[in-house]
Amino acid sequence: MAADTVSSSLQLPCVFSPKSRQYLALCAQDGRLRIWNTDSKTLHQEYVPSAHLSATCICITWGPCRTVKDGPQRKKRKSEPGQMEEKADLLAMGTAAGSVLIYSTAKGALHCTLDGGHSGGVNCVQWHPEDSLLYSASDDTNIVEWDLQSGKTRSKWKADRAAVTSLCVSPDGKLLLSAGQVIKMWDLDTKEVYRKFTGHSTAVTTLRFATTRPPESNALYFLSGAAHDRLLSVWQVREDGKDKNSVVSFTLTDEPQHIDLIASNSKEEAVRLAVVCKDGQLHLFEHFLNGPCKKPLSPSCTVQMSDTKDSPVPIPLLAAALRVGTRTVLLGYGNHLQPVMEKVEINTAERHVCLTRDVHASLSLSMETAVSKVKTPVVNTKSKVLVPGLPGHQAPIKGTPQGSDKRKKDTDTKEMSIAERLGEIDLSTLSVDKGAPKGTASLQMDNFAVLLLQGLESKDASILNKVFQTRKEMVIKKTVARLPLSAVLPLVEELTKRLQGHPFTAVLMVRWLKAVLMHHTSYLASLPDLVTQLGVLYHMIESRVKMFHKLTKLHGKLYLLTTQVATSDSSKSVTEVDHTAKLVYEEESSDEDEASGDEGLPDDGDDSNWEEDEVMEEDKDDPDSRTDSKANGEEDMEHGNESEEE
Amino acid sequence: MASFKPTKIPLYPKLGEKVTQDTLYWKNYKAPVQIKEFGAISSIDFSPVAPHNFAVTAFTRIHIYGPFSQEPVKSFTRFKDTAYCGRFRSDGKLLVAGCEDSVVRLFDVDGKVALRMFKGHTKAVHVTDFTSDSYQILTGSDDYTCRLWDIANANELNRYKEHTDYIRCGVTSKLNRDLFITGSYDHTLKLFDARADKSVMTMDHGQPVESLLLYPSEGLLVSAGGRHVKVWDLLKGGQPLVSLKNHHKTVTSLCLSSNGQRLLSASLDRHVKVYNTTNYKVVHNFDYAASILSLALAPDDESIVVGMTNSILSIKHRKSPEESKEVSGQQRRRPSYRVFVKGKNHAPKQGDYLVSKPVKQYLAKYDKQLKQFNVSKALDTALETWTRLRKPEITVAVIKELDRRGTLKNALAGRDEQGLSRLLNFFVGNVVDPRFAPVLVTAAEMILDVYRQIIGQSPVVDRQLLRLQDLLEREIDYQQDLLEVLGMLDTMFASSLPRMAVPCPGTSRANGLAQGEAGTLRPQLQAT
Repeated sequence: MAADTVSSSLQLPCVFSPKSRQYLALCAQDGRLRIWNTDSKTLHQEYVPSAHLSATCICITWGPCRTVKDGPQRKKRKSEPGQMEEKADLLAMGTAAGSVLIYSTAKGALHCTLDGGHSGGVNCVQWHPEDSLLYSASDDTNIVEWDLQSGKTRSKWKADRAAVTSLCVSPDGKLLLSAGQVIKMWDLDTKEVYRKFTGHSTAVTTLRFATTRPPESNALYFLSGAAHDRLLSVWQVREDGKDKNSVVSFTLTDEPQHIDLIASNSKEEAVRLAVVCKDGQLHLFEHFLNGPCKKPLSPSCTVQMSDTKDSPVPIPLLAAALRVGTRTVLLGYGNHLQPVMEKVEINTAERHVCLTRDVHASLSLSMETAVSKVKTPVVNTKSKVLVPGLPGHQAPIKGTPQGSDKRKKDTDTKEMSIAERLGEIDLSTLSVDKGAPKGTASLQMDNFAVLLLQGLESKDASILNKVFQTRKEMVIKKTVARLPLSAVLPLVEELTKRLQGHPFTAVLMVRWLKAVLMHHTSYLASLPDLVTQLGVLYHMIESRVKMFHKLTKLHGKLYLLTTQVATSDSSKSVTEVDHTAKLVYEEESSDEDEASGDEGLPDDGDDSNWEEDEVMEEDKDDPDSRTDSKANGEEDMEHGNESEEE
Repeated sequence: MASFKPTKIPLYPKLGEKVTQDTLYWKNYKAPVQIKEFGAISSIDFSPVAPHNFAVTAFTRIHIYGPFSQEPVKSFTRFKDTAYCGRFRSDGKLLVAGCEDSVVRLFDVDGKVALRMFKGHTKAVHVTDFTSDSYQILTGSDDYTCRLWDIANANELNRYKEHTDYIRCGVTSKLNRDLFITGSYDHTLKLFDARADKSVMTMDHGQPVESLLLYPSEGLLVSAGGRHVKVWDLLKGGQPLVSLKNHHKTVTSLCLSSNGQRLLSASLDRHVKVYNTTNYKVVHNFDYAASILSLALAPDDESIVVGMTNSILSIKHRKSPEESKEVSGQQRRRPSYRVFVKGKNHAPKQGDYLVSKPVKQYLAKYDKQLKQFNVSKALDTALETWTRLRKPEITVAVIKELDRRGTLKNALAGRDEQGLSRLLNFFVGNVVDPRFAPVLVTAAEMILDVYRQIIGQSPVVDRQLLRLQDLLEREIDYQQDLLEVLGMLDTMFASSLPRMAVPCPGTSRANGLAQGEAGTLRPQLQAT
């Protein structure tokens, strides 16, 4: 149960359209297919398969380019009139349910569905370069040849003893490579095995032909990469059949995830290869393929990307596409939900290139809505948004991009950026507070009960800190209300521990404690050993409030003095006057009382709003004053002097 | 003449976590050595013989590491698919491992090629172990069967098909060559006797069982599955003794410390918990970076080895005695000190005539000042940076003493801007501490009285005062809240208990004896 789920690594398909590289198709964690325009760097189309949660898309392949008669979104590009004629249109997607979907970018809709061929998930789909044929390989060990004219299977044969994980059709369309662990080369006319290549110990995930020459010339090469393997192997198809071992291997830093190559047409031309690994690095290779090479080849250039922060965090590259003749590489990087595309000139003289990009700026770019028709599912007000996650977990963890599956109806086609979505999540509880529900209540993010329970059970400090730091009254209440009874006493105990601290943090704990006492009164009162359970807490509080009188007096004294100073000394700077004015004591306390008295009322909109602001302000103040008390900040200098004196 | 009485520094109980023997023991490990393996680490096993190498099963390989090596001293790579459960024989010379391809392989630790291949299972084999006579092998597989094999001729001796789901853990008895226990995803643990054809005991764990552990005495069995760890009494016919629930995700691995006093459990929630085996309370907790799949302790607890899902192997070695002393103890005393203490611990003999010499009283710096009535200087000394930050109780005690003498006002008065700001800074840091509040509030009032005139003249002092005011305001709000809570508690106590009961602090229920079962389980625990 434990180990199995981990080993199946999730790879999200991500492909550039052939030839012009105008589009990047990728299927993100949320199961939607998104097609991005690499020129304008905007979302071109979005398609939600009807069963995108149950039957996730495993692989995507662009069909061969073809002439499009009329496309509304065809844009004339004067610079490249030659490529205008051919346009990538169809897109084949293999799903985990065993069906193959054909999507047309020209129509912006599903073209057709190929069903009934497979009983297991489709691992790979490949188009025939000339005929309208499609090959798909599946977990059920079969390869199916589809006739796209009729949408029926033309033939189906068992290819391996285990799942077939990868396919590749040769450029001339006569041979087909398939692989599970063993790579087999099929003659497509007879559907018989032409050659077999063994050497990988794990499932082969990538197959590509590296040359475009016929097999008779001893110069047909292809390359393969396998799961968990840090090598790309190159195999030579020899006429004499003595092709037992791979001839060349390229070393990588991790499992290959996306490969792009420019095949060589003659002996004098090198194969250029761009491999994006699972660790987010890009490796560029250039190699003349003739015969075996003993040593594994290391990349001619490695490209990494990091952000611009002080402590740089690597940004994973998702895909890379080479351009014929030039050194520019088209890169896709960042998040699957919103990748950034960029053409980069890479200086291959350097062995290691690190690019720094400000992802935050580029990730929050707003999308033009007019460009494309984004299909938004019609959401009923009553229907709930299903979020992928564990069953029983009602609260997806805040901040994960997958979780931001929510779509506001009223914002029509305007796509939200990640930052906006996150903002939305943060605001969602506040808007409920105000009693002005807009649209459906967003993500079910209004309580931390599950998280808190987990934290209490395993005493995980990081989880508990995260939960206890919440400042929103509603969240606290709901969390406590949903907490199972068995967790109440551990919570009280934990709160007791935390109550002893500084008032800045302890104030939050009191809110939790109050919520517990209010929501679980009857349970607590029914405990036979209540007094012993809560005795510690009681004593602690009692000892703390002993000084209440004196402290209040002192505060009054201090307050008088400081306000006297503020009023008498008119030459004070504006900011300082401001500061003192903030501390009008009477108002604050009365408001505090009011708030705690009638939190339940929905219509105290203004008040609670004001309080929220206040809290935020305190929030800002906190770190300052705390560092002050630790003798940092401005006083630091003085302390330094002191210690020198001493 | 009455001698000077030094200022009494009251002892306050320390806040925060209590330091117990266990925390000291389990914290006494070095920073972990981390080694990247090829895949999720599913099993770790220590060799029972001297150098105590350990076998790490990860993905298609088994690496054997030496006790202090960071590179594998040996690796077995002849697996066609993911390997599982590499185990040493009791003499440390043979190693057995299961595999996803259903073949069980037996290796010589010095060799490379498998000595024997045990074929017969139809699915992945996750459990392998040697029986105590070391001539037989126990295997358990995803085909729901567990089998016994003869090492010499690789024959299948016996086959048990009682489980109804994957078998993912099993142990053999170290005392009896015929007994072994398997745990399965069908929630059951079964005790088998090789002399019988059927299981002799079945226990229901309630969740898919992930790991099993036999106590050295073999009277008690520990099983882990789901979020629970359960202890069973085998001698009482498989009676459940304790159920522990201290993890929030599946518990994957169990392990016993070398003296048998502590039980360790590792879980997908990234924690390793240490339990006391007498009362089954958690006494320590380790945090790791990723979900833990396997855990092993070296003999004598010399090292803790943990394998995680992100294929990182983390090895923590115990600190050597010198090292640990250096960290915990004081710095080495200077030679002059050793001369100074010479003869201090000499015990007088029977007939010795003792001349008592008055013990010289050593006074702390602030006490010296106090003795000379330099009140202001005494306060200055007590406010030195180190004392102020590390031992505020000393500062507070001095202030209290000054107050008692009635000279606190003098001591506070006559400070320059810097001195006053330092003083206020101390107040801001400590005035809300309930231990110090009574003393400091009085002192703060005095400060205000003394320095009333100069407020508003120095921005530094004014800022400190504003901070103090802000803090007080918060504290008052906080205490107001607390008072409300107190009221709530009063109501609750009054309604719940007609009789008067004295609250006794200190009792707390901490361990995960789940609430419902707690009542029934406790008496049994005491009985054992």
